[in-house]
Amino acid sequence: MSGSLLTIGRSGALAARAALELTGQNIANAGNAGYARRTLGLAEVAAAGGIGLTGSTVLSGVRASGVERTEVHFLRSEARRSGSDLARAQAEIGGLLAAEAAIEQSGLYPAITGFEASLARLGSDPLNGALRADALEQARTLTQGFGSAAQSLDTAMDAVRADAVSGIAEVNRIATELARTNLGLARVQDGSTGKAALLDQRDALLASLAEQAGIAAEFDAVGRATLRLGGAGGPVLVAGADAASMTVAEAPGGMLQYAVGGTAVQLGSGSLAGQAQALQQISGAAEQLDDLAALLIARGNAAQTTGITPAGNAGALLFDGDNARNIAVALGDGADFATAPAGSGVNSRDTDNLDVLRAALANDGPAAAADRLLFTLSSAISGRGVTRDVLLTLSDTAQAALQSQTGIDLDAEAANLLRFQQAFQANGKVMQAAVEIFDTMLRIG
Amino acid sequence: MSTINNPSLAFHTRATGQMNALRRSAEQLQGQLATGERIGRSSDDPVAAARLRSLGRADRLAAVDAANASRAASDLTLAGDALEGIGADLIRVRELALWAANGAVSPEGRAVIGQEIGELRTAILARANARDTFGNALFAGQASAAAYVTAADGTTTYAGTAQAGELSLGEGQSVGRGVTGPQFLSTANGGTTTDVLAFLRNLSTALQTPSGDSAAAADAASSAIGILDDALDTLNRTQTIIGARLAWIETVQDRQVTTTEARAEQSADAGGVDFAATVARLQQTLTALDASQTGFARLSSLSLFDAI
Repeated sequence: MSGSLLTIGRSGALAARAALELTGQNIANAGNAGYARRTLGLAEVAAAGGIGLTGSTVLSGVRASGVERTEVHFLRSEARRSGSDLARAQAEIGGLLAAEAAIEQSGLYPAITGFEASLARLGSDPLNGALRADALEQARTLTQGFGSAAQSLDTAMDAVRADAVSGIAEVNRIATELARTNLGLARVQDGSTGKAALLDQRDALLASLAEQAGIAAEFDAVGRATLRLGGAGGPVLVAGADAASMTVAEAPGGMLQYAVGGTAVQLGSGSLAGQAQALQQISGAAEQLDDLAALLIARGNAAQTTGITPAGNAGALLFDGDNARNIAVALGDGADFATAPAGSGVNSRDTDNLDVLRAALANDGPAAAADRLLFTLSSAISGRGVTRDVLLTLSDTAQAALQSQTGIDLDAEAANLLRFQQAFQANGKVMQAAVEIFDTMLRIG
Repeated sequence: MSTINNPSLAFHTRATGQMNALRRSAEQLQGQLATGERIGRSSDDPVAAARLRSLGRADRLAAVDAANASRAASDLTLAGDALEGIGADLIRVRELALWAANGAVSPEGRAVIGQEIGELRTAILARANARDTFGNALFAGQASAAAYVTAADGTTTYAGTAQAGELSLGEGQSVGRGVTGPQFLSTANGGTTTDVLAFLRNLSTALQTPSGDSAAAADAASSAIGILDDALDTLNRTQTIIGARLAWIETVQDRQVTTTEARAEQSADAGGVDFAATVARLQQTLTALDASQTGFARLSSLSLFDAI
């Protein structure tokens, strides 16, 4: 390459124009969240001279050595990790809120209190048909409350399972895309805009995958990612151009077990982990609801069997069933309430057996158990809400730190625009000076 | 080269996030003011929500207890009225017996007195079989049918139970529902229990016997006076018991009112909205939101591109 003023000026003008285009690209992508700021790498073109003793160098201007993309591995992995934790906390709280809403909105606690109040009213006039019918209706309302609470909990569990399944589908899709990106990265030329675009795509895929499940990523010299799920010791999801697939299985008790290519994996963060935790919590609440129903059934039936009805027959069972889904009132008529103790006569107004039933319901009975269930759920939500807010702040801070390194500042780009325009004009002047010198020299001869 | 710069995307995200948070807070405060409730769901404040649940349950059960207390009071008042009527009749019987014990009365006069005593006995029996407002027998204890049944031969027997049972008034308090017939219609004089109704029947029959043995009839009448005095004493004692129970129910009702007021106050403290403080916070939040919106608009209108 011969060194002459014209060539040098031309190389400078070309470099300035390339830098201007890159600045324009940056400005156009200012709103693109997955875009890392690009700069043009410039290198001097200076060849060592020919075989001579003087060792002079030939200057040939500047060349664009490649598109440089700002890369900050640590900040990116921090942003991914905090995003994973936040997604887990949000998924878990979502499941718990659904369980709390199911039990609160079914009106279970007020229904238990209503049944106890109707029994207290019955104590004032045990043979009154209207009061007996009212007590029976309150018992029916109570069993329906149990049914609707159990159904809402089932719906909440189904919603969490559906979310987990769609999360798995998303993970598998991203893994396939990442494998394809790895393939492209192996083939693309270093320093080109294509490589920068592929690296952007790789980072965007990693960020959206990290929200689903906690990942550990390693990068090789050309930028290909090797992805492990669940931390640095977990199974490999993507290696080179191969992507394994993730599956989920449900164990009894509401435990979700994730596996990658057959190997079980324990996820510590990501919304899939949050959904597994939420499903466990909701199953626990459903179990406690069933225990509550069983307690009510046992106490109600025990008190009924020790008394006699106004007609003089032994008391029949008050409730049918054994859990919250199939609890039902077994008495057909209010006259079948056994309010009098065994041994009293027909149409007795003795309320001793009714008092036994009321005492069984009041002393550490269904009302206290329902209150405990609601309090456990609500204080769990309240505590996790505090954790979620802390994780939200950490995630926002990590994102802001990442953006401050790789984001586009419009003021800086405007200043660059001016700078490269000036460089272009200066190099144009250099070329003009070279042309004038050449013309002068031509006119001499 | 690593620089710390202010990317415009991060600025927009941060600013809109902050303004959203302010607006959400303002909407939550406005919702509290509109409903008057500080707690929307239990997880907003678990301890206060548990407190509100138990206060609500206590309120509901206390309402039933208050109704039971007034029901018991009305039953006891009816019983007291019936006993007063029986007392007036017994005093009339005593007057008649005193008159019949007078030796100067003729057998026909004594027969008329005996008839009137029979009528008074029927009135006393009717009062003893009185019913309360719901149709249950007042003095039959825990049975529901009539307290005294009359057989074909005219004898009456008590058909109720021995105890009247207790009605729970809440908070571990209870009151006896009523009194049973034998409690005021049988007297113990000299160790033997006498049924007043049977005694009146015998007296009436004895006075109406058309025989010339007026001395025996006069003796029967004079010995009746002692038994009638005992019967009146028993009746007085029973009326005192009923009066004491009514006073006890009134005390319980006063305490129920006080407890209900205390519960309402605790309920307002736990879950109610302090209007003055909430309105002040809402004002402050709205001012902050207004200022941040203006600042954001100013800042985002500054651009170097306007100067190029």
